[in-house]
Amino acid sequence: MAVEVAEALEAAIGELRTALGTEYVMTDFHQRAIRTTNTSPMGLHQWKDLLPDVVVMPASTAQVAAVVKIANKFLIPITPRGAGAGLADGATPMKRGIIVDIKRMCDILEIDDEDMTVTVQPGINMQELNKVLRPLNVWFPDDPASYPVNVLGGRIGAGGWSLLGTGYGHVPDLVCSMEVVTPTGDIIRVGAGGGRKIRKSSVGYRLKDLFIGHQGTLGICTEVTLDLAPRPQAQLPVFFATRSWEDAHRMTLAFNRSGIRCLSGVVMFDEAKVEFLRRDDEAWIPLPEWVNSAVATICYGTSVELEAVKSSIFDIGAANGGVYMGQEISEGDWASRHDRYHLAYHGRSDGTIRLMSWSCEDAAITWSQLPTVKRRWYEIAEALVAKHPEHFDIWGMFMYTGNPFRPWGDFLTEIDIGVNELEMTPEIWADWVEAKTQIARVSVECGGSVSAAHGGTREGEVDVACYEELKDGQFDLMKRIKKMLDPNNIMNPGKYHLDEAYEDEETA
Amino acid sequence: MSQQLSSKPFYDEKIEGTIIPLPLIKDCYAVFACRHKFCREVCPVYQDDRDESHTSYGFHTALLGISQGMGELADIRETITNCLECGACELRCPNTLFGGDFYGASTTTVDLVRKVRRDLVASEIGFEKYEEIVATVDRYIGYFEGPEGDLTKWADGLNLATSGETMLFVDYFNAFETTDIPRNAAKILTAAGVDFGILPRPGATLGELLDINLETFVEMGRHNVAALEQAGAKRVIIINPHDYTYFTRDYTTHIGELPFEVVFITDVLEELTNNGQIVFDEATANEVFSKVSYHDPCTLNKICGITESPRSIIGKLPGVTYIDVTPVEQWSYCCGKGNASFKTLHPDTSYKIGAKRLQAAADLGVSQLVLACPHCKDQLTDVGARSGIAIEPVHILTLVAQAMGLD
Ligand SMILES: Cc1cc2nc3c(=O)[nH]c(=O)nc-3n(C[C@H](O)[C@H](O)[C@H](O)COP(=O)(O)OP(=O)(O)OC[C@H]3O[C@@H](n4cnc5c(N)ncnc54)[C@H](O)[C@@H]3O)c2cc1C
Ligand code: SF4
Ligand code: SF4
Repeated sequence: MAVEVAEALEAAIGELRTALGTEYVMTDFHQRAIRTTNTSPMGLHQWKDLLPDVVVMPASTAQVAAVVKIANKFLIPITPRGAGAGLADGATPMKRGIIVDIKRMCDILEIDDEDMTVTVQPGINMQELNKVLRPLNVWFPDDPASYPVNVLGGRIGAGGWSLLGTGYGHVPDLVCSMEVVTPTGDIIRVGAGGGRKIRKSSVGYRLKDLFIGHQGTLGICTEVTLDLAPRPQAQLPVFFATRSWEDAHRMTLAFNRSGIRCLSGVVMFDEAKVEFLRRDDEAWIPLPEWVNSAVATICYGTSVELEAVKSSIFDIGAANGGVYMGQEISEGDWASRHDRYHLAYHGRSDGTIRLMSWSCEDAAITWSQLPTVKRRWYEIAEALVAKHPEHFDIWGMFMYTGNPFRPWGDFLTEIDIGVNELEMTPEIWADWVEAKTQIARVSVECGGSVSAAHGGTREGEVDVACYEELKDGQFDLMKRIKKMLDPNNIMNPGKYHLDEAYEDEETA
Repeated sequence: MSQQLSSKPFYDEKIEGTIIPLPLIKDCYAVFACRHKFCREVCPVYQDDRDESHTSYGFHTALLGISQGMGELADIRETITNCLECGACELRCPNTLFGGDFYGASTTTVDLVRKVRRDLVASEIGFEKYEEIVATVDRYIGYFEGPEGDLTKWADGLNLATSGETMLFVDYFNAFETTDIPRNAAKILTAAGVDFGILPRPGATLGELLDINLETFVEMGRHNVAALEQAGAKRVIIINPHDYTYFTRDYTTHIGELPFEVVFITDVLEELTNNGQIVFDEATANEVFSKVSYHDPCTLNKICGITESPRSIIGKLPGVTYIDVTPVEQWSYCCGKGNASFKTLHPDTSYKIGAKRLQAAADLGVSQLVLACPHCKDQLTDVGARSGIAIEPVHILTLVAQAMGLD
């Protein structure tokens, strides 16, 4: 570290301590090391290079603003961090600097069960929030698979997708308004209305959307008013087994077109996913040999409503080659939707046990393009595994309905790949990044988006996101907005190639 | 009897400065790579301080970080004290939930935390307030070495035998700090017609010892096992749930299979009520008349899985209205005392965790919170007095004795 940089850092740490108290300004290696990672794979060889310099845990909006002002004064980068369970490296600092860990800000500020909103600080977790809301018979319906761990700030930073989004909307649909500390340390409120609770207004630009899904590059959300829903009286999960993925795909279209309003999600499991679950998931109830794929449907609503649609659901399944898997699997599997992800110990397809972490693609693909995307993704993934059988493994695909409030159109399309981080080398990592680039490119070539949930900020996909998906002026506009709001490039630099906004000026 | 799903002999190998043994690196990686971080919101310490380094994921990641050349053991001497050793994270971890029994690779945070603390001591680094913990340990060892009658003073006037096929094991905390608990246990068993004895000189069974000195802990354990065997024990009844974990998990790991059966007092009482040896007779006007809830001690619920017998007994007490909070919901609760030295190390956090627990009971509209652990009783009584939360913590044996007309 150059002398001036080290001195600036030391001075900044001193001011941070004055602003937040010594206890909440942390420089120990493990405090920094743990906040380097998020949940997407990282070769351990990269870890040391990504360590932030200091971690702060503010307790209020004023403290967050103070931190941002100090960062601007000393030109030290900031990376906002929620639970650090994102899958797009958003919370991983690429330029060291200050991690602003917002988890101490976890209060519920107001519950309004008449206008149906709750106002919270960004460090609260959804499951914990719903525990408090339960006696009032209302809930906040954001339900990602990572529901027990994420916090609201991270959900907003990533612009997340919910398993129940088809019924209840996704994160961007569930935010009424927000308080944001901008990259220069100003405190603003985005959203419509004189209060905080208006969902639909035609006044002004839709600035609220700008502050959702920006991966911490445009500011730090410090308070948010969320839309609540009545707690559903009942749920009806129905899982169908099919002989082929093509049957599953066709069945899904029938559900898309069914007009069933309480349908809150449809999920396809492909052949490799069923095989993976058979092999590796202790909780997965064994299925007969002939089962190759599956479709899960979930309805939420009143008991009367669900009783009325039950037979339509079964009819559609049966008419499209589906065999009902029974109540035990349907209810059990739906109940374990937050727990069913990988274990590092999972045996590989060749029968050996090799510790691997989980990588998860989450492209947004329209229904008609799914067969092409699936075929091309497997070609890429299989070539990677063939080249590095000790380092990668294919764990199959899921496709989930992605359109908010409607079960048709987009599907969050996921291919899961095991990654041996412990034994990663720079050369193998380069092949991995190349494979990811190809996977992302297929999504865009097929008219889709690189990410429906996590964000397009990871190595590999970020190039495709910025230069291919967001071409035609969008990426250029993003850079202009970024530079206008963040003249010193303080907020999460290195993400989405936004540094280019500042390089252009240097070149000029 | 509870058992440890995954025994990890490689925990015996000491961490030296920056050197982490390879099997431990892999073990830590398995938690790091999981990254669900479900071990967080369930952790009573994290709920209070929101610091992700004070969680199972945090401890494992710190060690992995050391193995990758980012720091050394001494750097984590403060962090590693931020654990109650309550076991919630172990249960919530997908490694335990979905792979523990198959791969033998459950997450064992409590053992890891103890191991790291011991390695810090062995490396002469120690940790925060280490001296206070040593003082507690010395006091307890002093009891062991002190006059024989002192350790059984709690039983004065009860005329208990010192041998028998059934032995009641009474630890020092109960013997010196919460004497009404062992006295009630003895009175209830006697009234139920159980023949039993007590050890005149039990060995020390404190968690602080396990945290800093495994050798002496095991030595004391060997003494207990031998003394109980010599006394003729075929069945040993335990009244402190912390001891129940030591006997069923730590003694079996470090000493070997025990030559007697080990049972927790509430399981025994459930047996005695089921077979009619204990009868709560409403006509004898010993009704308890109270609206109560039950606090699952971490050690019983999260470490040993004993959750039904206390509920079954409470359900049989005449006059009691019972409001349940399920054992799984209680994974995220603790009284704040911790399995060993947490209250000494972090008194403020300990108090806040305890106050949160009492408040949760108050929110249920009950007047008493029933406990099955002397440490919970001690801690929540303190917390109640300090916070003014109007819930009376009461030990389950007190209620049973009352309902039997024994007090
Ligand atoms: C097992 C598993 C399953 C998952 N399933 C889903 C799923 O179903 N749907 C889905 O959408 N995602 C899913 N994810 C991905 C991920 O958890 C989410 O995208 C989530 O939104 C991240 O939240 P976090 O609190 O962990 O945020 P972090 O990872 O801490 O941060 C995410 C981004 O938000 C920024 N940020 C954090 N706090 C703030 C703030 N206060 N203001 C502004 N920016 C901020 C960060 O800088 C970062 O760029 C899953 C992850 C895992 C591990
Ligand atoms: S044992 Fe309890 S206190 Fe310790 S890390 Fe796990 S959940 Fe937290
Ligand atoms: S005192 Fe009771 S609740 Fe607290 S740690 Fe011990 S057993 Fe757990």
